[in-house]
Amino acid sequence: MTAPHQQAPDAALVEQMTAGDESALAALYDRYSGVLYGLLLRILKDTHAAEEVLQDLFMQLWRTASRFDANRGSMTAWLMVMARNRAISRLRRGGRHAVADDPEGFLLESAPDPANLEDEAARRQLAGRLRAAMASLPGEQREALELAYFEGMTQTEIAERTGAPLGTVKSRVRAALQSLKQHFDERTARQSGRS
Amino acid sequence: MSERHVNPEDPDLYALGALDGEEKQAYEAHVRGCVLCAAELAAARERVALLGLAADPEAPGPKVKERLMRRVRREAGGGAPWEQRDARAGRKESPILAGWGWLTPALALTTVFFAAVAGWMGVQDARDLQRLHGVEGQLAQAQQHSFEIARTATETENLLGMPGTVRVGLKPMPGMPDGRVGVLYNAKMGMVTCAGWLPAPPAQKNYQLWLMPMKGKPMSLRVFKGEWNEPMMMKVPVGMEAKAFAVTVEPMGGMPWPTGPMVMQGAGE
Repeated sequence: MTAPHQQAPDAALVEQMTAGDESALAALYDRYSGVLYGLLLRILKDTHAAEEVLQDLFMQLWRTASRFDANRGSMTAWLMVMARNRAISRLRRGGRHAVADDPEGFLLESAPDPANLEDEAARRQLAGRLRAAMASLPGEQREALELAYFEGMTQTEIAERTGAPLGTVKSRVRAALQSLKQHFDERTARQSGRS
Repeated sequence: MSERHVNPEDPDLYALGALDGEEKQAYEAHVRGCVLCAAELAAARERVALLGLAADPEAPGPKVKERLMRRVRREAGGGAPWEQRDARAGRKESPILAGWGWLTPALALTTVFFAAVAGWMGVQDARDLQRLHGVEGQLAQAQQHSFEIARTATETENLLGMPGTVRVGLKPMPGMPDGRVGVLYNAKMGMVTCAGWLPAPPAQKNYQLWLMPMKGKPMSLRVFKGEWNEPMMMKVPVGMEAKAFAVTVEPMGGMPWPTGPMVMQGAGE
């Protein structure tokens, strides 16, 4: 990645992509491929499939650059949602093509990103905190949350998989989300305090 | 609004994809008519998306980027991949083969075979691309929609925090269809926001939302069909005190004053 691209915000890179600048896509790839590939591997557990989905994802970013407005939603969240949806779709269908035609999954109504996650250090810091927060969850809560997030299971499916009563699963998922939400709220409050 | 409003984990559960069955349906129905919950869902989507950062990052092999950039260059410069494959499959026989007549049937068969394979791949790719374009359109619309929701949500939050803002929950008139319409109103700021839903109006009719002032004629705020998913912030003359808000059934396009039956009404709490 060239130095100007390293510093360029996502919005600027998207604009350059719209103008047909391939190096802007390369820069975004360098910025996000690590976290996205990690997520895809975690979901798909298959390097070939994860690489294919990753490539498709960035191809889509290239093709849709002109329609994307980074001011209306965070690139980080958008890419994470797309990656997760495509991977789960592929996992569930087991088909060759990972394109999720689940419109709900693509209808990302994202709030503006509260943190500057374009900065790798900030992303790492948040990732570290998230891992710590997830590790601190009681085992059953963590398991339920991971089944929902990384395997795309609903509460009913989690109950079937784990053998736990549906009500118990609901309590576990809700408690896990509440803990993590609290974590996010504290983070947002800290950021507001700094700004 | 429905009782689903009170469950604070629903936005995160929905964004996570963990809600199913009736819970999911109830939540979706609620969010369609509630500006605040739509804003909360937007925040939840961001939060939930970022949970993926908890997965250990890993660098993909260098060939992935190479392949990606090759695909990009091919698409940017040389037309769509399937077009290139079709062109290759459909090219004319090389002059070097002239005179090798005995090979012609075998080559013809092989050409037909590869053309069929290339054609099939082309159709597959074209279908994928078509589907992707459809999804891209949805995404662009969703972005626009989310921007509007976020803007209205911010304005709504500002309005909620201002002294003098009143909440009005409109109630169905006896014998009229059930529905939910909520209004936030601040006379000093001259601002009104509203959201809600009603069953489809009679044929060739629309619903119309009115501000009934303390003095003077009713003021039209919005003309809408039954499924009313998009909240809106409206300006009214500053200082106009509202006695009540009402929804009537009116001809398509609305009327300058109420003429049809009143289906809902509510006054400030």
